Amino acid sequence: MKIAVLIKYVPEATASWRFADDRALDRDGVEGRLSELDEYAVEQAIRLAEAGAATEISYLTMGPPRAVDALRKALAMGGDRAVHVVDDALHGTDAAGTAAVLAAALRRIEADLIICGMASTDAEMSVLPVMVAERLQLPAVVNAAVLKVADGSLTVERDTEDATEEVVAPLPALVSVTDRSGEARYPSFKGIVAAKRKPVTTWSLADLEIPADRVGAGGAATEVLAVRPSPPREAGTVITDEGDAAARLADFLAANKLL
Amino acid sequence: MALRLILGLLMTAVAFTVAGRRLFMLYRLGRAAQPADPGRTRGGAARLRAELTEVLGQRKLLAWTVPGVAHALAFWGFLVLALTIVEGYGALFQRDFHLPLIGTEPWLGFLEDLFVLATLVSVLIFAGIRVRHSPAREGRRSRFFGSHLDAAWLVLFMIFNVVWSLLLYRGAQINTGNFPFPGGAFASEAVARLIRPLGAGANDVIETAGLLLALGIVLLFLVLVVHSKHLHIFTAVGNVAFGRRPRALGALLPVYSAGRPVDFEDPGEDDTIGRASIEDFTWKGMLDFATCTECGRCQSQCPAWNTGKPLSPKTLIMGLRDHALAAAPYLLAGDKSRVDALATAAAQTPLVGVDGVVHPDVLWSCTTCGACVEQCPVDIEHVDHIVDMRRYQVLMESSFPPEAGVLLRNLEHAGDPWGRGAGARTEWTDGLDFPVRTLDGERLPDDVEYLFWVGCAGAFDDRAQRTTRAVAELLHTAGVSFAVLGGDETCTGDPARRIGHEVLFQQLAAQNVETLNNAGVRRIVATCAHCFNTLANEYPQLGGAYEVLHHTQLLSRLVADGRLVPVTPVDATITYHDPCYLGRHNRVFTPPRELLGSVPGARLTEPARTRETSFCCGAGGARMWMDETIGTRINETRTDELLAGRPDIVAAACPYCVDMLGDGVALRRQQDRVDEHVVVTDVAEVLLRSVREPAGPAAPLTANEPRKAQP
Amino acid sequence: MSTVLVLVHHDDGVIRKSSLELLTLARRLGDPAAVVHGDAGDALAEALGRHGVTTVYAIAPPDPESYRPAVEALALAQLAARTAPVAVLITSGPSGTEVAARLAVRLDGGIITDAVQVRAEAGGPVATQSVFAGAWLVEGRVRRGTPVITVRPNAVTPEPAAEPVTPQVERVELAEPVPAAVPRVVARRAKAATGRPELTEATVVVAGGRGVGSAEGFALIERLADELGAAVGASRAATDLTWCPHELQIGQTGKTVAPQLYLAGGISGAIQHRAGMQGSRTIVAINKDPKAPIFQIADFGVVGDVHTVLPALIDEIAKRRG
Repeated sequence: MKIAVLIKYVPEATASWRFADDRALDRDGVEGRLSELDEYAVEQAIRLAEAGAATEISYLTMGPPRAVDALRKALAMGGDRAVHVVDDALHGTDAAGTAAVLAAALRRIEADLIICGMASTDAEMSVLPVMVAERLQLPAVVNAAVLKVADGSLTVERDTEDATEEVVAPLPALVSVTDRSGEARYPSFKGIVAAKRKPVTTWSLADLEIPADRVGAGGAATEVLAVRPSPPREAGTVITDEGDAAARLADFLAANKLL
Repeated sequence: MALRLILGLLMTAVAFTVAGRRLFMLYRLGRAAQPADPGRTRGGAARLRAELTEVLGQRKLLAWTVPGVAHALAFWGFLVLALTIVEGYGALFQRDFHLPLIGTEPWLGFLEDLFVLATLVSVLIFAGIRVRHSPAREGRRSRFFGSHLDAAWLVLFMIFNVVWSLLLYRGAQINTGNFPFPGGAFASEAVARLIRPLGAGANDVIETAGLLLALGIVLLFLVLVVHSKHLHIFTAVGNVAFGRRPRALGALLPVYSAGRPVDFEDPGEDDTIGRASIEDFTWKGMLDFATCTECGRCQSQCPAWNTGKPLSPKTLIMGLRDHALAAAPYLLAGDKSRVDALATAAAQTPLVGVDGVVHPDVLWSCTTCGACVEQCPVDIEHVDHIVDMRRYQVLMESSFPPEAGVLLRNLEHAGDPWGRGAGARTEWTDGLDFPVRTLDGERLPDDVEYLFWVGCAGAFDDRAQRTTRAVAELLHTAGVSFAVLGGDETCTGDPARRIGHEVLFQQLAAQNVETLNNAGVRRIVATCAHCFNTLANEYPQLGGAYEVLHHTQLLSRLVADGRLVPVTPVDATITYHDPCYLGRHNRVFTPPRELLGSVPGARLTEPARTRETSFCCGAGGARMWMDETIGTRINETRTDELLAGRPDIVAAACPYCVDMLGDGVALRRQQDRVDEHVVVTDVAEVLLRSVREPAGPAAPLTANEPRKAQP
Repeated sequence: MSTVLVLVHHDDGVIRKSSLELLTLARRLGDPAAVVHGDAGDALAEALGRHGVTTVYAIAPPDPESYRPAVEALALAQLAARTAPVAVLITSGPSGTEVAARLAVRLDGGIITDAVQVRAEAGGPVATQSVFAGAWLVEGRVRRGTPVITVRPNAVTPEPAAEPVTPQVERVELAEPVPAAVPRVVARRAKAATGRPELTEATVVVAGGRGVGSAEGFALIERLADELGAAVGASRAATDLTWCPHELQIGQTGKTVAPQLYLAGGISGAIQHRAGMQGSRTIVAINKDPKAPIFQIADFGVVGDVHTVLPALIDEIAKRRG
């Protein structure tokens, strides 16, 4: 069984995030990393390989040249090869365009199982796994907490709003995993050195035969009209408990008609 | 005479063969080990000084008075006894042999007898110590717990035998008229008087038998020595000669493979990173293992051992030695398939592992406080070995206590253990009534005297922020111009290096060195003892040479120069806790005490373990970021030691210590075991309170809310 | 006026609060048409009418066991092709997001997720999203295809229509079969009912974090929640320490809530947690650490021990309510 893992290069959580002039997230000059939530997907793929269920792990990302760092990080954790879709025309691509590009790349990678994180830590849309699956006409199971593969099918345990479910889907399939699926390993130096020797293939839009007018800000099905900082919350009152905090807090709730 | 000669030489030949084979094997084992880091022979003067003070002068042994004196007696006794052995061999050939030149001087006879008796006294003292502090009586508290006790007793017994057999021989020699000394040898003469009534014939026999017996016992002793911990008699000289000078504390060495520093950007195919197995240790490591005398001074001071954890520096080194010897036949064999099964199994036992030579709990219990290295009379470099083993575990196996992953990830992604990131580095300046200059990538202006290295704790930890602000205010008051790096500062890399993640350390350190060099920084003041140590001792390894001061050093100078004047009395008993990385590792003992001493009203008390023997707070060696689940907590043990002097203020000079001890005092307060008013604080805060005018707002000292160390 | 398709969820005819919020928003954009799964009974139709729904599309699933998001996506795609709506509104959340994502691909249009506000504009509906843990607001619009918009629960206050209408109810048969390769739920264990409101829909949420210290400490959070009729939430630390069930987790990898009152006990307010509760109207925080980031966004903060403040607060509230 071949596994493809979709990963994303995102800004560091501690960086100061801002928008560039074109109202896209300013990624220049901001430290980036493999999205923390994607590390769980990488971990699950490696565990399947370690358990003998997978024979090959490929990573796929679409992003600027620096996004190769995310691929290298994943390769340092484990896995075999990586594909980086990089093209100047991709800047500003929306979710729909990204899904189209990733689906085109996945058709070439031909994986039996596609694993993704539950969301990216920057855009946080969580739509990409399903959009990719829909484009590939694959079953998708999102938010898996436990993941098993046997006899050509995928079994997932997951929590929904009101229940814990066991969901089965035939392979090939796509699954997104949550942060409960299992702590991601910390890559060893040995892994980092090995990762330098693993192949990373670069594909352009032309390689994927995707017309440039379907991607980038110009080809996006959505447009950003305005960005502005959230109005600052009015500075609140902070008191130190001297035995009267409960009464003062109750006063506050009452005054705001919250009791 | 001929019989005497033949028997004597025969015995000697057998003993030398047995001992020689052993020594040759040990030599081959040392040769098979990795080359040591370069610099083991550099600095001849310091090495000679160490030989004179530590070997001849017995300096480190004498730090423990009774056992130290006993050992000095035995050591000097053996040096002098060596003369009697030469005399004995001479007497094999010529019954009345004497050493040339001084061989018949009565004072030499006296000296020899004096040290023969001194050796006997030392044996008795040693025996007394071993009985009194036997593990059977004291359990884990005994420094001999885990040592090879039978071998130690056997050696004492053999020394005793050497003494009496020698005296017997010498007494008979007097009676037969073959003794080289006309007088002075008082003890031998006493024995002579005792056995004279046996008659001339008997004394004749006793002389020969005594000589062969004495030589036989010495030869047996030689064989015993090369097969036991008493090998240190020979190896200690070399181990001290090739040890790190002035001591194996302060900086950690970079990662060496085959004697060359490893280039982590482009590592060689055959590079060994850290210690994966026993043969990855250097010959100096092997020499360390061979030299351990199992005396347990290290164990008696080890914070891990003293709080019920499985790590004892002594048993760690003993375990490595025993393992090296068990695996030696395999390691030294040309054809490995013909090695016996036991040795093969030993060689294949993992170095670190639950079923390995070193249990992971042992490896991860170390706080790198250096108490063991400080104590070791033969200069074994325990901390270096532990970090080297950690290096392999972290870098190659990615194996470490899982909670430490948070530390490593935070360092990697945010540049600090708390994971707060550069943006929050100057939050501590909020509310100061003077501006703090922040470089933010600019060059250090010429009028700025010091770069104030704030440190991650100083920037992000609640209590440490107060110290940072206190130091800033004191410097401002004293008119010292300083600047901070602001968001360009990152962790110095101390916790990364000490957990064994050398790659991460190199990255962080290289980045800081570049920042500091680009800013033209020459003089740095740091509040964190760990930052101080890394900046001062480790950054030179990466091309960053600065004059680094700890804040207690700078503040003490400012007080001495009258630029800071403590005026307001602080009516309190203050106990000062020496942070390991300030005191033991860097020998800064006096400045913090001078500072506290300069505060009117303050009464300084010393805890039982202080200065060189200070007891770790539990946070070093990246332990700050690991769970402490085995035994009792180190910080509580140290807190109790400090509170024993009933202080009002526990003062430290390192944010980690203040945090750990603060937690300890808070816990004891919850348990009503310490008075409400007792606080833990940095020395600088005490000084600030005294420097401020009495009319000014009294700076309340750090409160003791328990804080979670985890980021 | 043009149609706005709204995916409505109900429990035995009782419309979910989050769906009512969608209908409230939909009326600002056009004529709401409700799409419901299964038969729409009279009571449901009437209730929908009170919220201005002119048409109810009742999806007839080919098989009750069919994978629901797939069925809903197919039905919505079919209806969107027929009615050319100005927008399709769906509630944010794992299943809503899945439906929206599939639908957007089928319609080859744009998708906007987790909107906190939607307003009508000449060029089509404009949705506002709160991003980067609530630090920024982004206004965006779909410019190709039918806009598919998911809306965060509690973003608006649900209100009935000024004039109730009587909706037409139409049964919708799927024109194309549900794909064979879909996930199948083989086992389902419903969570124990707590009697408390659903977390994402509650108007008051009381949440606990590492600072409560233990499962017993967490019980204080539950007691206060019951006193206030609130839902119980938690930070990841508290769920990781298994002081409470995982589904109570609020934050980046848990639920997003925006209640009228959010009361955090022993939660420091790491950015991952703030991402899930920043939209709350009023935030109250109790924490021992005066530097806890939660105080930066709290309307009322108490620096103190939850173990003393919470019991006192529970008593105080009980006293005031007589």
